Amino acid sequence: MDDEMSEYYFTASMDSGKTLCSLLKAIQFQEFAVFCALAEGLKLTVEEGKCVQASAYVPADNFTEYHVRSDVDVMFKINISVLAECLNIFGSGEESSLKMYYRCEGSPLILVLQPQSVHNVMTDCEISTQTADSVLELRDEDTSEVAKLVLKAPAFLGLLADLERSCDIMELKLSPEHPNISIITYGMQDRSCIDMPKSSEMVQSFNCTHAVTLKYQLHHIRLIMKALAVSTKVVVRCSSNGLLLLQLKLEKEDQRQMFSEFYIVPLLDD
Amino acid sequence: MKFRAVMIDAGPMREFTNIVSTISKLSKECVARIADDQLYFIVSDENSGPAPPILWCEIPHAMFFSEYQMVGLDDDHKDIYLEFTSTNLARSLITLKNAKSLKMKLTKKQCPCLTLEIEVPSSTSQQTRQVTHDIPVKVIPRKLWSDFQEPKIPKPDISIQLPTLKQLRTTIDRMRTMAAEVMLWASAEGRLTLQIKTDTSKVSTRFKDLRVEAFEGPIEHSDSETETQANEDKSNICYCRVDAKKFSMFLSADQISHNRTVCSIVHKRLVVLCLQTEENVKLQCFITGIVY
Repeated sequence: MDDEMSEYYFTASMDSGKTLCSLLKAIQFQEFAVFCALAEGLKLTVEEGKCVQASAYVPADNFTEYHVRSDVDVMFKINISVLAECLNIFGSGEESSLKMYYRCEGSPLILVLQPQSVHNVMTDCEISTQTADSVLELRDEDTSEVAKLVLKAPAFLGLLADLERSCDIMELKLSPEHPNISIITYGMQDRSCIDMPKSSEMVQSFNCTHAVTLKYQLHHIRLIMKALAVSTKVVVRCSSNGLLLLQLKLEKEDQRQMFSEFYIVPLLDD
Repeated sequence: MKFRAVMIDAGPMREFTNIVSTISKLSKECVARIADDQLYFIVSDENSGPAPPILWCEIPHAMFFSEYQMVGLDDDHKDIYLEFTSTNLARSLITLKNAKSLKMKLTKKQCPCLTLEIEVPSSTSQQTRQVTHDIPVKVIPRKLWSDFQEPKIPKPDISIQLPTLKQLRTTIDRMRTMAAEVMLWASAEGRLTLQIKTDTSKVSTRFKDLRVEAFEGPIEHSDSETETQANEDKSNICYCRVDAKKFSMFLSADQISHNRTVCSIVHKRLVVLCLQTEENVKLQCFITGIVY
């Protein structure tokens, strides 16, 4: 059996697929994701246009068994909503064990799920895979980080939910001077501004070397809301070219960690 | 025509409410057939005009009603058929929660009505309140009775016990988001498989160790559509493709406390889901197979 398994490009199993499912739902704003199994862990990436890139990252230690062949690249495109539905096939109230198999390039990803409380049932899913499109490399080693803040996720989520939905653009002002953080939205006839000093309860840490003003599509910023809802804190990093990086750790019962990450490209001044 | 029935026990009242509420989720219109031994609820397919019923529910009156009197149309036609909007009855029965008694009768007000008189205890005094609901009904003329007869179905190829309805419903509801049709496979060895296929995925949920109540095999498979597990005999398996939404709707019957649910399959053509309760209520759903 072991010999047979090692021929597979990728196999993995975990005791409960529930947290993986909620992680996937947090980045599920596109139908397709690039599924990439690295030796260190599993990474799923979705992109919106060339402007937003979201990844879910599951370090290998979350799996009870995790095996990737070292001589091949395990990377393919997969329907992420089907994947999430399959993981949830026994309902969100049920913890079910999960096994994943991927034989070789072009073969489907196979999932086998078995609920922990009932023993006479199992589900197997074959999800077809496609050749992956290239993933944007947004990280630029040459740029420096101009600001890093750590915010409480539920409060930040509340703040984003309060922003006027009809606005297209959100302006973010970060500065070492008071008020350290300003979020400004421009509507048809109004301008609204939320100021947040670094002493605010929502701000856990604040680092900013010099003042920056950046504009983002509000719609892009809103894509992180699902991820915020399942996290406790969010790290916001802003680099000198305006690229915004948000890193979130998934709220989990055990010690192992799962992450999601969002890169958001700024709007250029016109 | 006369009809008058009284219910005084909490258990049956709760069951009755659950049954009616399940039916109201399945269909807007419902027909009640009042016979001298049983009360029937019948639902026909709304889209396809006069067609055999898709839901058939029998309630033996002796277990539910402490008093049950009826006089039918005439000596030769002893039943009464009433058509009504099922949510009207379901909503009225909400009052039945912790009621002391329910009196049901056929009355003539501005139009024929099924009148419910519900006696509700007061939380502050010994006296009770009486709540009356008049539900407009249409008396179905005798010439149309034949539309509401119990469907005659071919002998099923297999009858197999169903897993818990709640579990089944969760799974079907997930599958429904991916595909409109679900394939049901049942084998004489007690396995039941639900399967969907789409361009991007194939999902199969397999239940095993289910009790097989009847098997009329062997099944003849003339096509290559049947796929089997290794060392499984094809002739022991039958299947039917059905509308996932219809199947899921029947599963909402899990709120009725039941002691037996059975799925019968006529190979490729029909699925009959049957639920029975301790009080001998029988609820059957007929889902015709989709054949390409």
